[in-house]
Amino acid sequence: MGTMLARELKRGSTELLILALLEECDRHGYEIARLIDERSRGAISFHVASLYPTLYRLEDKGLIQGRWVEKAGQRRRRYYRLTAAGRRTLASQRSLWEGFFEALNRVARVRHA
Amino acid sequence: MDWQARVHDALAGSRLEPDPGVVEELAQHLAAMYQAARADGCSHDEADRRVAGQLDLWRRDAAAFRPRAALAPAVEPLSTVPSPALVSSVQEIRYAARLLMRQPHFALLAIVTMTLGIGLSAVLFSVAYGVLMKPLPWPDADRLVVLKETRGGLAPRFQAFTNAAYLAWRDEASALDELAAWSTGNVTLTGAGDPVRIQITEATASLFRVLGVGPLIGAVFEDADEATPVVVLSESLWRERFGASPDALGRSISFNGTPYTIVGVVPDRVSYPDHRSRAWIPFHVRPTAGDQLSMFHAVAKLRAGVTPAQAAAEGTARGRFVPDTGLTATAIFGSSGPVEISATPLREALTGEVRRPLLVLLGAVLLLLALAASNVAGLQLARATARRRELAIRAALGASHARVLRQLIAESLLLGLAGGAAGLALAWVAHQALPAVLPSDFPRLADLSIDPTVVLFVAGVSIVTSVAFGVLPALHVRRLDLVRALAEDGVSPTGVSGRSGVAAARRLIVAGQVAIACVLLVGAVLLGRTFFALLHADRGFDPSSVLSARLSMPGPVYTSATRDVVLRQIVARLLAVPGVREAAVTSEHPLAPGGSSGGFVLPPRHASGQPIAVQASPRLVSAQYFAVLGLRVLAGRSFAETDSATSQPVVIVNDSFARRYLGETPVGTRLPGDFWNLGDRPEATVIGVVEDVTYVAAPEASQPEMYFLLDQFGGRVVPPTATLLVRADGDPRRFASIVGDVVRESDDALVAELVMTLEDRLRATTLVRPRLYAILLGAFAGLALMLTGVGLFAVLSYVFAQRTRELGVRAALGASQIHLVQLVVRQGLGIATIGVAAGLLTSLVAARALSVLLYGVQPYDASTYVIVAGAVLMVAVVACIVPAYRAARLDPLRALRAGG
Repeated sequence: MGTMLARELKRGSTELLILALLEECDRHGYEIARLIDERSRGAISFHVASLYPTLYRLEDKGLIQGRWVEKAGQRRRRYYRLTAAGRRTLASQRSLWEGFFEALNRVARVRHA
Repeated sequence: MDWQARVHDALAGSRLEPDPGVVEELAQHLAAMYQAARADGCSHDEADRRVAGQLDLWRRDAAAFRPRAALAPAVEPLSTVPSPALVSSVQEIRYAARLLMRQPHFALLAIVTMTLGIGLSAVLFSVAYGVLMKPLPWPDADRLVVLKETRGGLAPRFQAFTNAAYLAWRDEASALDELAAWSTGNVTLTGAGDPVRIQITEATASLFRVLGVGPLIGAVFEDADEATPVVVLSESLWRERFGASPDALGRSISFNGTPYTIVGVVPDRVSYPDHRSRAWIPFHVRPTAGDQLSMFHAVAKLRAGVTPAQAAAEGTARGRFVPDTGLTATAIFGSSGPVEISATPLREALTGEVRRPLLVLLGAVLLLLALAASNVAGLQLARATARRRELAIRAALGASHARVLRQLIAESLLLGLAGGAAGLALAWVAHQALPAVLPSDFPRLADLSIDPTVVLFVAGVSIVTSVAFGVLPALHVRRLDLVRALAEDGVSPTGVSGRSGVAAARRLIVAGQVAIACVLLVGAVLLGRTFFALLHADRGFDPSSVLSARLSMPGPVYTSATRDVVLRQIVARLLAVPGVREAAVTSEHPLAPGGSSGGFVLPPRHASGQPIAVQASPRLVSAQYFAVLGLRVLAGRSFAETDSATSQPVVIVNDSFARRYLGETPVGTRLPGDFWNLGDRPEATVIGVVEDVTYVAAPEASQPEMYFLLDQFGGRVVPPTATLLVRADGDPRRFASIVGDVVRESDDALVAELVMTLEDRLRATTLVRPRLYAILLGAFAGLALMLTGVGLFAVLSYVFAQRTRELGVRAALGASQIHLVQLVVRQGLGIATIGVAAGLLTSLVAARALSVLLYGVQPYDASTYVIVAGAVLMVAVVACIVPAYRAARLDPLRALRAGG
């Protein structure tokens, strides 16, 4: 139970993180990985193994869209962009998490940063 | 390093062919990972291991990487691609600000350093600009000239122009628009608040026309007013004593008891000759009557298109027609030869004397600024290597070289502009203190301010220095060689240590700083020695052991007779004070040459010789004058009790007089006894010859002087201003208040002014400027030495950190602590020695600029250079102490493991 819950939590939170990062601006895979590592101060260093599969999954679900972009004089890189559906999902996921924390807080006085 | 191939192999385990798009994407990820790891300081093997680990993870999950629908590459701008340059610049500035706030110590150190450097430069620039470059406040100021008269090539003993030459020229001056005469004096002002002594100027009405000065209220006086007692006030006096009220017009005030009616006020900005003149009264230039010549200063406005030389030539030509005043001219000029006029542009006359020192000080402060900027550059370089991870990632993420450069410059600009703003504030504060620091006769004091030119200078300097110390680390970040260049600075295996580009650049910078500190220090030492040489020059007496005070007893309140009584009482009372050895009064202060002048003719010494024209300064002194000053009697005797109002008139001359004008037996010569128009004095006999007083730093070291005994005149000639001299046991300063008390006891309306030892008087008058220059340059040199010491310490610490592994290896191989310490110290002293050599060589060249300011010491004085070299090397040794200590305490195991 613990491992499954943890896994589900992790997966859900990974998706949320990726969507949130893409809300600011378009990014490519390595940048997303690094930002998650940096901004969470290393607390969420999930297996990068699951990053790309998650990206592809999100892409299949139509929440993000990846394209190859070629800038002058450089190799092409794959950038991901948040779609409209993705924005809606992000908003609802956010409120879910916030509701969750509120409940936790009311019950166990756990606050989120 | 074929990433794509490795990814392909890792994913190729499953039955399906890996999607080429996925392979490409993952390969890029691996490449970025590898670069980041290397930038972090990992070796190639370590970085490779990380990458391999990642590949393993992917390999296990290969099924997740199914073929994807290929999308055509798009060549379109991303939403992340910068926006127009302006927005990205704002982004960069915000990013730079965030970065700096995360490193507050560095930012603070850099800003404080720049504030000091820029602030000091701004102050000095504002003074140099205000004095030397800012336009004069009078209209057509480039046509204003100061006129001087000489006769037979000799300058007059006081003032600069005679009424004879003035009148000969004024009415036929085709080269001049206007000619004006003026002189200043101190008077007691009454009738407007408490009595106070102020400086006022007598001037012809044409002065206002020459200067183009109009009144603030009321009117300036006209030619017709020259005989009437009217006065024009300065704005500051008007505000101070009349509350800036227009009712002041028509009111009456008195100068030394004589009433004047106020007719106008002029703005402070255009005060002439300077801001110290607080009022102007009319002056009428009288024609010469008999032998009399009156002296004053002259200034004129040239007619448009006329050069000063042409005007001078015309003045000289008109001067041929002055009446012959024979001996008076000899008395004043030392010669009765033909008149010669010179014309100097006003700006040069006002500021010429301070031009050289100001430019030297400005040069010094700019050197200091360069030093401060290079300190910050060194800090930036150190920071650049510490930031290699961040810079590498930015490059890996596709930031162009130009972008990284722009970002580094943005940071530097932020630092520089912050330092500039703070420096400007510092300069503004310092400016409020300027009037107290600068001598009151410093030219154009009133024109000094922080005006827009200064602000522009600060902005320009901030930007230039920011770019200068920002470019250095930026140059070091070359994208293509990023990994390699930065790896060189990473903790590398033994051998290639301390030779990296960054370390070499920092060492070079510090050597340059040491050189600058040397140059400034040499200048400071030379100027300091000049000041002390001036102070302790042999004047014939010891100025530290004599107390002097000025006593002003102006008419009509005092007459000669009343003055005589007061002075006798003061001297008698002082001699009764225990501890006072000698006390005397004199008509002229012994510190400065010039003073009153007398001219006469002596009969020839031999029958066939020529009469001797004598120009000498006649002085009235009391009996103990020579004893107070400690002047030895070289021949004959000094004044005695027997010399009184009823005995034979006597005079004592100084050595210069005797050598120049008298023969082998000076004692017994008869000289004129009346230089004060008494009309009934017989000749005086020379009874003795005394030592010369040496006037240091004057065009001539000594001048012929004659000393007459006050007692012999029965109180008929006592000058309105006399100097009191006192010699006492121990420190004369202790007697300052006693002197004040005695004076007040003798006359309760009299106040002893400027009570101080002769040495302090020197410091406050003749030596003010040499002292100021020495102090300023000394302060700059001190700051420079401090900044250099800090810079040297920083670079040694840096190099030491770079070489930790190497030193660890050496220690493990048996190198003793002493050996390690020696390594560090040798490196530090090596840098310092190169800097000192360069600095001393530069000083040899630069010292020539100082030679006009020096006294008693040569620009190439060897001992100065040795002292400076020693001081700088000592600072270098101190800077080495901490790094050397760390080297001695090195733990070989830790050192070897560091950065592995």
